[in-house]
Formats: sequence, structure tokens, C-alpha cells
Amino acid sequence: MAEKHKPAPMVEEVSEFEVLEIAVRELAIEKGLFTAEDHQRWTEYMHTLGPLPAARLVAKAWLDPEFKKLAVEDGVKASLEVGIDWVNSMPTHFGTPSDYCNLRVLEDTPKLKHVVVCTLCSCYPRPILGQSPEWYRTPNYRRRLVRWPRQVLAEFGLQLPDDVEVRVEDSNQKSRFIVLPVRPEGTEGWSEDQLAEIVTRDCLIGVATPKPGKTANDPRPVRPAVNPYHH
Amino acid sequence: MAEINPKYLELDKEMRERNLDESTPVSLLEDVKQKGRVWDDLCEEYGVDNPDPPWRITLEATCDMLAGGYWETFNVCKPKEERNPEEEEKKLDAVERRWEEDKLVEKYYEQIPFPERQLLALAHTLIRRGLFDEEELARRMEEVDQRLNSA
Repeated sequence: MAEKHKPAPMVEEVSEFEVLEIAVRELAIEKGLFTAEDHQRWTEYMHTLGPLPAARLVAKAWLDPEFKKLAVEDGVKASLEVGIDWVNSMPTHFGTPSDYCNLRVLEDTPKLKHVVVCTLCSCYPRPILGQSPEWYRTPNYRRRLVRWPRQVLAEFGLQLPDDVEVRVEDSNQKSRFIVLPVRPEGTEGWSEDQLAEIVTRDCLIGVATPKPGKTANDPRPVRPAVNPYHH
Repeated sequence: MAEINPKYLELDKEMRERNLDESTPVSLLEDVKQKGRVWDDLCEEYGVDNPDPPWRITLEATCDMLAGGYWETFNVCKPKEERNPEEEEKKLDAVERRWEEDKLVEKYYEQIPFPERQLLALAHTLIRRGLFDEEELARRMEEVDQRLNSA
């Protein structure tokens, strides 16, 4: 006899935070700060986003030198190949009035490692990478990475030899970045799907490097800023 | 040591001029902070392994909508000279919100995990800026609570 289907566990109580989130949203709509329809459309769009397209872009670039050239020269055009249209994607449909869609793909080499930050807030290439992780948003990461990139990467477990240059790219109004890491040894003959699996979100931000068998991000401790920057 | 991004210094000056440091605790939010059960605890109790609460994306969407609409969300680091004050009246500039979130979290919500702290900071910011008041929010929370627990 087939095993009886067991439903996935679910949280069976309403938390104060859930109530607060709904209350804030409803009041904002009532006050005319935005419409319920716009919020709904944007939420649906956001639910479609995740890191897979960026991982696929890297995997394709590893397999196809011509595509890699395109990715490095024109990240927006290359994104189309993995289903991400920065200019005409939902829900705008008509492009954007600004040039935010300048996605740049930063190519690592054995002697050059890129890592991405947003020192001002938490700008992130959401259309191709989904939501940013908590640590990416913290002042601790944002303030320290630009000052001590090598040391901060070491805290993430990425020990780089002294002869590897570290380059930090600061996201801004004009540009979003993802890292195209070096293809690791031991992946010869792999398919695009296999390769995409090891290109984790952290590899695409630049705080990790891809490794065969490693398909998930490590849990990252989130620390307060020890020396807060006083505004 | 790398130099600090000049944009950062410019915005820092602007933020200081706007006295974003001036804030007081909001008793309603202090109550939520004390009594609210965070997602990590709920997951543990109910054996759920989804890393984010179901409302995380709707909260993000609310923040984006407050910043002024679809395309604005991609321009959160817009320099001052490119902003239009007349259009900004009902907007909550994303950089300001994020900086205020950093400050409020540091001051009041450090011990609360993410994204609960982001939510508390957003509610704090909206009350502080008079977009709605604490009593209105308390009433609405009561209504929502009754609605959600009426099944």
C-alpha cells in the first residue's frame, strides 16, 4: 500500500510581525502612497526573481567563449539569453526612464578577484539575482568591505593569495554587477545544468568561489558594526 | 586602505542636515518587539524550513512602492541633483529609508532578526514621518489580527 501523503509542515499561528506587515501595507494604500494593484503586480514580479538566471549566465559563459565575450561586453544583452530582459521585463513593459539597466559582468581571472557591494544602501541586481541576503544589507559588510576587502573575504572563508588582486565594485544608480568567477578544476565535461548548480548566489556576489559538489551558500554570521559610522 | 566613496560622504552630510538621528521609541513597536514571535522561532516550533517568512517579499514590495514606483526602485542611489522635490512629497526615498533603517536597527531593534527588524524600522519611519500615527496603526493591527484569526 502506498504511503499516505503527508502534508508539508506549516506555521499554524499568526505572528505579531505578520499582522504588522499587513497593517502597514493597508494603511499605506489607504493613505494613497501607492495602489493595491501596483503593489500586487510588483509582488508577483518579485516572486519570480531568484539567482538561477545569473548562475546560468555564468555556466553558459564557461562553456561558450563567444557568449563570455558578450557577457563581459554587454551584460544586458547577454541576460536575454537566460530569460532576463532588463529593459522590458515585467512589470514596466516600456523600459525605464533611466540607465539603471547597466548590468556589468565582472570577469575574474586566476590573478583578479571581484566582489560586489553597495556602500550607500543595498543596491543589488535583483532582476537576475533575486533578493539580497541579510549580510549584504548590513553596515558591517558595506563599510568594511571597501576598506579591508581581503580581510573581509577571509572572514567569509575565502583566503586569497597575496598575488591575487581584489577589486571591489560599488553598486550605484547607474550600474549593477555580478561576478563571473573562474571555472573550477574538476568540472571538465560538465553540462550547463551541472555547472549552474555550483554557481551559488555568494559566488555571484564574489564572496565565494565555485567548487564541485558545493551547491548551497554557507550560513553567514551577521554582526553589528563595531565602530558605527556616526551620521 | 581604500578611500570612502565621495557619494557616501555627500549623502551623509545631507542626512545629518535632515536630523535623521532624532527618533524616540514607539511603544506599539516596542510591544511587538517584546511579544512578537520571530520567524526563526516559529520555524523551529512547527518544523518548517523556509528561511524567509511568507511576508518578506510583500514587505520588500511595500518598501519599493514607497520609493515611488517601478522604475524608481532601480534608482535608489539617485544623486540629489537628479531628484524632483515636487514629485517626492509622497515618496520615501529608498536611500533615506535604508539609512534610517540602519540607525533605527542600531538604536532599537538590533536584537531582532531580519526581516522582522526591517519591518519594525519601516513602521517606525512611517510613524516618525507622520504618514500615519501610532494609534491608527494599533487600531489597524487589531482589525487585521481579528480578521486573520477569525477562521
